[in-house]
Amino acid sequence: MSVHSLIVEPFESLAFMRAALVACLALALANGAIGTLLVLRRMSLDGDVLGHAVMPGAAVGFLYAGPSPEWLSLGGLASGLVVAALAGLITSERARRDAGLVAFYLVALSLGVVLVAWRGSNVDVMRVLFGTVLAIDQRALLQIATVSTVIVLAIAALYRPLAVGAFDPAFLRAVGKRAPYGAVFPTLVVLALVASFQAFGTLMAVGPVLLPAAAARCWGLGVAGSMALATGFGLAASVAGLLVSYHGNVPSGPAIVLAAGLLFGVSLVATSSWRRIAPNIGGDA
Amino acid sequence: MPQSFDLRVRREREGCGLAAGRVLLRDVTVRYGRRVALEAVSGEFASGSLTAVVGANGAGKSTLLAAIAGAVPLAGGVVNCAARQRLAYLPQLAAIDRDYPLTVWELITLGGWREFGVFRSPGTALRARAATAAETVGLTGRLRRPIGEISVGELQRALFARLILQDAAVILLDEPFAAVDEQSISVLLDQVTRWHQEGRTAIAVLHDLDLVRARFPSTLVLARRCLAWGTTQAALPAMAV
Repeated sequence: MSVHSLIVEPFESLAFMRAALVACLALALANGAIGTLLVLRRMSLDGDVLGHAVMPGAAVGFLYAGPSPEWLSLGGLASGLVVAALAGLITSERARRDAGLVAFYLVALSLGVVLVAWRGSNVDVMRVLFGTVLAIDQRALLQIATVSTVIVLAIAALYRPLAVGAFDPAFLRAVGKRAPYGAVFPTLVVLALVASFQAFGTLMAVGPVLLPAAAARCWGLGVAGSMALATGFGLAASVAGLLVSYHGNVPSGPAIVLAAGLLFGVSLVATSSWRRIAPNIGGDA
Repeated sequence: MPQSFDLRVRREREGCGLAAGRVLLRDVTVRYGRRVALEAVSGEFASGSLTAVVGANGAGKSTLLAAIAGAVPLAGGVVNCAARQRLAYLPQLAAIDRDYPLTVWELITLGGWREFGVFRSPGTALRARAATAAETVGLTGRLRRPIGEISVGELQRALFARLILQDAAVILLDEPFAAVDEQSISVLLDQVTRWHQEGRTAIAVLHDLDLVRARFPSTLVLARRCLAWGTTQAALPAMAV
């Protein structure tokens, strides 16, 4: 089997593979930055919960208009934002916070499944749970590309407040002149998850956001460097996952998330064993 | 026109003049849920004053600073601070995430935020001031280090250098010397004294009463309510009660 038939041909011959590739690459561009900020803020669990918060709204959109990407996204965006606002409200009561977040997660997920199953088929339920990377049409593709563009531009414009707010929010409050930076980041996260939801479903939407970023974070780079590496990891995982799914005949969404998970595992092992060896090298010198 | 309105206008006008660094508290009350953290605290930090805030654990010292900084909502009362736009607030060190990938230099230059804002990068003049501030706190050799790899004392020095760049009229310090080594404490104390000499208002939460006696002219003793507030000599004995 030649390199061409292994890597290029699947995308060359099949339009749905090309659409999936473009969608995943667009998502990876937005997810690298969003995921890095989520990891740096230690908000991975919040990201996971918001990924499921998209579900009930998307289900309502589904009930209203069937499996239309616009209505699924609008509904998902609405319920994601509501839960993000509620999660912000319970932040003050730290002790009850994790239980509260998990409660949101379970209720949102169950409610979404019940709503979709009420009017739809099992296929529809599978679709919202696991996504449809290989069934992305032009409308969905445009939507994903638009959302990713908005996210990348917003992060480029607000990079400094977003980065500073992640490690010293009190300082940002003091210099920020009451600009609503606190609301900007959760909104961007919900946008990213809604875009990701189309391709990966509610159960895995947060995977391509978090895993490449978590992998990149292992390498001890600065904020911008971590974002760039996370984007690179996301792109690599997308291509690798799609190819594995094509050649191995396995579901593509999980294959991409697994590829990203593999990158995380390798990064973790490589950097921690380097840290164990490096002091010895320093000691010899 | 009601008299209170006239008073408010007059206060705001004063805010532009000499009394810019004054912080006025009237019946300031803060609640966390049902727990009252601070109850009806009234008084005035004069412009240019240097005050230590002391009290037992849970006396509301940190809450008082957060209330002045506008970081917690008031359940009642008013904080009147004309220099709110030129107020710098240094919370306890634990509030800062030390795993964050940031160098000492980047942390210090953030103090010039008001000059470069959200979009621009720090200019030459600001970088020169940042270098001077770093020298003042003795961090010149550490600028390229990530904040996770320096000692607690050095991190606090870097945060003080950032405060120097902020050029604030009112400076709030929450336990600035906690877990900080002796040598750093002396560097930081000198800086606090310098701020006082420059006519800035400084308010610091402290535990070391000997240090308060030696270096702080005014003291506020808190136990949720204000127990005593005045010259250190007059107010500090209230701690023993």
